[in-house]
Amino acid sequence: MAQQGPSHPLKTSLPETYAAVNAQQPPPSCLYPTQEEQDRYLEGRPGATQQHLEVALQHAQQIQTQKDAEDAILNRILELLELPSSPIEDPAAPSQEDTVKLKYSLAPFRPSDYDNLILERNFEDLCGYALCPRKHRKQATGPRGGFQFKYGPKGSGPGGRGRSVDIVSQDRIEKWCSDACAERALWIRVQLSEKPVWERRAGDTRGTTILLLEEARAKRLKAPAATSSVSSVVNDLEVMGLGNRDRSGELALERGDTSLIRPDGRVDVNIRENQHGSQQVAGAPQMRPEDANGGSIEGYVPRERRGADQDGDIDLLDQI
Amino acid sequence: MDGDSAHSMEAEREMTRLWRTFRTVYELLADRGYEVSDNELLLPLEDFRAKYADPLGYPEQCRHASLKSHITNKLFRNNSRTKMKIQARPTETMKMKYTALPSKANPNPQPDCGTIYVDFCPDSSGVGTKQVRAFNHLVDENNFHTGIFITQTPISPSAVRLLSGVPGRICEHFQEQDLLVNITRHELVPKHVLLSPEEKAKLLERYRLKESQLPRIQISDPVARYLGLRRGQVVKIIRKSETAGRYASYRWVI
Repeated sequence: MAQQGPSHPLKTSLPETYAAVNAQQPPPSCLYPTQEEQDRYLEGRPGATQQHLEVALQHAQQIQTQKDAEDAILNRILELLELPSSPIEDPAAPSQEDTVKLKYSLAPFRPSDYDNLILERNFEDLCGYALCPRKHRKQATGPRGGFQFKYGPKGSGPGGRGRSVDIVSQDRIEKWCSDACAERALWIRVQLSEKPVWERRAGDTRGTTILLLEEARAKRLKAPAATSSVSSVVNDLEVMGLGNRDRSGELALERGDTSLIRPDGRVDVNIRENQHGSQQVAGAPQMRPEDANGGSIEGYVPRERRGADQDGDIDLLDQI
Repeated sequence: MDGDSAHSMEAEREMTRLWRTFRTVYELLADRGYEVSDNELLLPLEDFRAKYADPLGYPEQCRHASLKSHITNKLFRNNSRTKMKIQARPTETMKMKYTALPSKANPNPQPDCGTIYVDFCPDSSGVGTKQVRAFNHLVDENNFHTGIFITQTPISPSAVRLLSGVPGRICEHFQEQDLLVNITRHELVPKHVLLSPEEKAKLLERYRLKESQLPRIQISDPVARYLGLRRGQVVKIIRKSETAGRYASYRWVI
């Protein structure tokens, strides 16, 4: 933790940082009892073993991690209430510093934590989007908690005619300063991970790589431009030089075919049917001597009948 | 004239609600074992109104748009709720009940209770971390042992967490509407009595129990909240019984 410096708002424990630190050093002595303390604890309890104590301590650590994470999230909510740093900032083009801070702070959030943030910002009379300095909407019309019609743009109705109409509760409209901000804020919300931070795996990137709506749009505009035209695809193929025999080895390496037997990456595959199965054909049942008696089941003769045979009685059924 | 009478009716209603809440708070303090005088416990509505109402008879102002025109003087703008702060000290019996049994590690335990402070939040909507932080700060600064924060509306989830996260102090939250009626005075609510650590030890010895073998009561139970019970304590619950006259049961607070 020390390398992250005093500006680091986390007191302990994002699991990913925690795991990395834990691997290097034993847990801090203030959290973990010394061997001496453990021994003293075990002395008074004849039924308890070192193993019991370790399990209990492990669970206690887990709960502590969870509490620390919740505290950290609360602290970050309080910090995000201060954003944006300047009152004239444009939410569509936020400053680099605020963006970095927002993304960093949101990493451990769940959507419900994010909702709490929005609620708190509204209580402070701010738009729910963390990078917007404006006040949230307040509609004087109608009673509190009512519903409203909301009209879409022209041509958004069914079949491309008229306008679409939504019935929206007033609370949901009043969270934001404008529809644009609502979109930005909700765009971030869908990127957050549902998993609580203390259960996430170390390499879990979901929730930690957050894009603002503007960034995502810019990316989407840029990405298709590179591959859209047919000529550019043809160009790319030519550059790759697939027809070139000399390069096939390189390509094989790229595919992961590193076999020494076939350096060019191709292997002859012959498919042969397995011959063994076809030789054993189930034949028709054969007459065996013990079957002459009849009444046996797979060679087993029920006991009653066996007794009857010994008496020399003739089974009528067999005669027929 | 009609408008005026409607106003005074509403003022009357609001004032009465606030007065009932105020009285329940005193009853709560008395039931927990704090020093509360009879005058405070039996404060009549007239006196309450004289002390806390504004000239128009409202407990607070500037909430009603129609009234805003009446009020130009800044003096009137103070909110009666900001004046309604209560402090109380624990009685000797309460101190005894909150003193742990002497042990080897701690041969001379101190009572775990102290001055309580009650604050009524003047904001009529949107109570969040801002107000709670101010309250926490106040409790911490004046070195109160316990704080009770009373609001008109529910407070946000982060505010709840913030309220419970003050190290070394106990901060509780109630809504005004929860305190309109004193629930422990209802005939269907049996009497709950907190046991002192000594009485608890005797009980466990007499019935040869571990405390975990007792029935339980949640810390969030309305009566437990009213009495400010803490985890690990035991309450005696005395019910009326048709056959036995009275029937006592014990519950462990978790």
